[in-house]
Amino acid sequence: MNQLISTFQSQQGQFWQALLEHIQISLISIFIAILISIPLALLLRRLPKIAEPVLQVTGIFQTIPSLALLGLLIPFIGIGSLPAIVALVVYAIFPIVQNTYTGLEQIEPSLIEAATAFGMNRRERLMKFELSLAMPFIMAGIRTSTVMVIGTATLAALIGAGGLGNFILLGINMNDVSLILIGAISSALLAIIFSSLLKFLEKAKIKTILISFFIGLLVLGGSYYRPQTSNHPQITIAGKLGAEPDVLINMYKLIIEKDSNIRVNLKSNFGDTTFLYNALKAGKIDLYPEFTGTITSTFLKDPVSSTDPNVVWQKAEEGIKKLNQFTYLSPMKFQDTYAIAVKSDFAKEHQLTKISDLANVSGLTAGFDVEFANRSDGNIGLRKLYGLDLNVKTMQNSLIYKALNSGAVNVAEVYSTDSQIKQYNLTVLKDDKNLFPPYQAAPLMKESLLKKYPELKKILNKLSGKITDQEMIEMNYDVNVKQEDAAKVAERYLKSKGLI
Amino acid sequence: MIEFQNVSKAFANKKILDHANFTIKDQEFFVLVGPSGSGKTTTLKMINQLVTHSEGKILINNEEISTANLRKLRLSVGYVLQQIALFPNLTVSENIALIPEMKGWDKAKIADRTNELLDLVGLNPKDYAQRQPSELSGGEQQRVGILRAIAANPKIVLMDEPFSALDPISRRQLQIFIKDLQKKMNLTVVFVTHDLDEALYLADRVAVMNDGLIQQIAEPADIYQHPANDFVKTFFKEYRQNLSTVSVENLLLTELSVNPEAQEVADNTAISEIINRLSDKEVLKYKGKSISSDDIICYIAGGDK
Repeated sequence: MNQLISTFQSQQGQFWQALLEHIQISLISIFIAILISIPLALLLRRLPKIAEPVLQVTGIFQTIPSLALLGLLIPFIGIGSLPAIVALVVYAIFPIVQNTYTGLEQIEPSLIEAATAFGMNRRERLMKFELSLAMPFIMAGIRTSTVMVIGTATLAALIGAGGLGNFILLGINMNDVSLILIGAISSALLAIIFSSLLKFLEKAKIKTILISFFIGLLVLGGSYYRPQTSNHPQITIAGKLGAEPDVLINMYKLIIEKDSNIRVNLKSNFGDTTFLYNALKAGKIDLYPEFTGTITSTFLKDPVSSTDPNVVWQKAEEGIKKLNQFTYLSPMKFQDTYAIAVKSDFAKEHQLTKISDLANVSGLTAGFDVEFANRSDGNIGLRKLYGLDLNVKTMQNSLIYKALNSGAVNVAEVYSTDSQIKQYNLTVLKDDKNLFPPYQAAPLMKESLLKKYPELKKILNKLSGKITDQEMIEMNYDVNVKQEDAAKVAERYLKSKGLI
Repeated sequence: MIEFQNVSKAFANKKILDHANFTIKDQEFFVLVGPSGSGKTTTLKMINQLVTHSEGKILINNEEISTANLRKLRLSVGYVLQQIALFPNLTVSENIALIPEMKGWDKAKIADRTNELLDLVGLNPKDYAQRQPSELSGGEQQRVGILRAIAANPKIVLMDEPFSALDPISRRQLQIFIKDLQKKMNLTVVFVTHDLDEALYLADRVAVMNDGLIQQIAEPADIYQHPANDFVKTFFKEYRQNLSTVSVENLLLTELSVNPEAQEVADNTAISEIINRLSDKEVLKYKGKSISSDDIICYIAGGDK
């Protein structure tokens, strides 16, 4: 519980932003769904023959798994809020159509006969009494849809639409239960609040309902209003999930905004590698930090055999330029790659500083994940290049640190900038025979961005060659363990180096 | 004046109305009576075209309604339903104001009219105007139903079994009220009922219907004494059988007999017997007072005393 509160406090800034996004996406979807559903229900009432089949079809929409629907929409409308809203609208339509239709069908036929006998036309009947009498049903439908939409909107985070789902996604990624709980509890609370508001409106007069919806629309519209403080050009920088990319993009923002009049819009924890790559291609974002090794192995599908960081960077830079007309600037110093770590006292005891030193210790047990255990630049390389014959226990990534800390294993495969290295007081052994592929981070963007803002290159290159592994570990530690704000951590670093 | 000229209506293969020819006079209280399924409600609903006729012509004031402006027609013909059908989302006064509003009356005029009408049926506007229909008794609801129909001063009011769902006391009150109102407002009322009592009390003329055919149209006393055919005779006979348990003492006789020819009726003679005897002889007498068919109608219309 304390953990939950402190995580919440450290994430407050992002939380309110995510909450706002969540409400915006949900309410827009609901309003659009209402605008589609009620006229559709009115139409169906006039066409009783097709009413049943159409209701069935809208019912089928509901059975499409939401994840699948989001995935299906990406090729057509890309990522971001738009596909999320489209998907949510598709879900929200059915309960409203169904309830509106039922609400209108349950009206006493004698009332309709009377109205007809008085000479009312269809529209007059609707306005005079039919909508009023169907309203409790319609509102119940809207309520059902709203609860569902607020819940489902957490999935919007998967396609970069933001919202409370970001916390869940980030929590899963970082194995942080507090973050998952923050996302889950707050979206559940939001659903409950909206549900009771609408429940209250079910019994209200039609005038009250209309006024409430109108106010809702105004507030929603107002929430999108950003006071036009300047006519600065804006760019959007995104980062992958986790603390490290978050710190890096905050550094980008700080130095860009200091040295130019460009204003930077950050999207931290935006998604995984392919997602960001596609977002950049689609122009949804302008820039994000990517690793050299990821570009060569994942995008170019041409893993470089060299372990010379410069060679890898050059390959990546040339390849991605050819492939996508992307510009890849020079990398920072630190390597976020595989590393072999031992506990510091164990290192002292056996005088370990580099991987080759492990050969002098017998009976070592290693904790590797399945992938590392079978990679040629993993355990196979350790055996061939370093001549190590470790007793390997394969386990899930998240368990490796715990196993090492508890002494269940002596040697662990880690990532070289993980905050746990500091947290568990570990020593990273030097890869003295250059087994591991270099993974250095550098800004990736479209060529066209630099054409538009040529000053960006010079500004961002100030970071090239900066930040050592140790410094990155410290900063990750500050964010992950000390729960400091990534922006503050980034600012402190830049100031200490005199970059801002 | 409402004229039916050779009007027929068929659903599927069944004739619901078969070549009806009759005229309803202005300011007449015209009652359609008959067993259920006889076509009386269908006939009524043709007048405001809730049901369209398949053959023939219906004329209101010499204008054929199938070519007339439907909205104009309906706005000028009042309609009262058995289900009452007050709009539950509107207050009493809003229900009454419905048709004047559609006709574009100004607000002050509508408010005056609403209050005037509520006073007319003994519902205090202060107390009743803002109530919801569900807060009224059945009888009160149907009063409002009638007010709604007459609010915009129609010349014709159609009433489809308007009182059959009410309790006997409310029914009686409303019968007296509507008869009175019809005279005061010079309304042409077309009224459907399956209740012979009600028909005989209210009607200037009664149309007896069976199987989509109009059997007879006549004044109540006439139809009583001279049934046009076996159906009408049987329809009334079945009805009279109920009268076989009631005897002559229950008649409220006022007119002294001046006819020495008139036969004296013994004590405890059943009213059904008197009706039979009246169809042969013009007048009978009982304890020095004359008995005519009017007295029988009066008794029937007045119900049990």
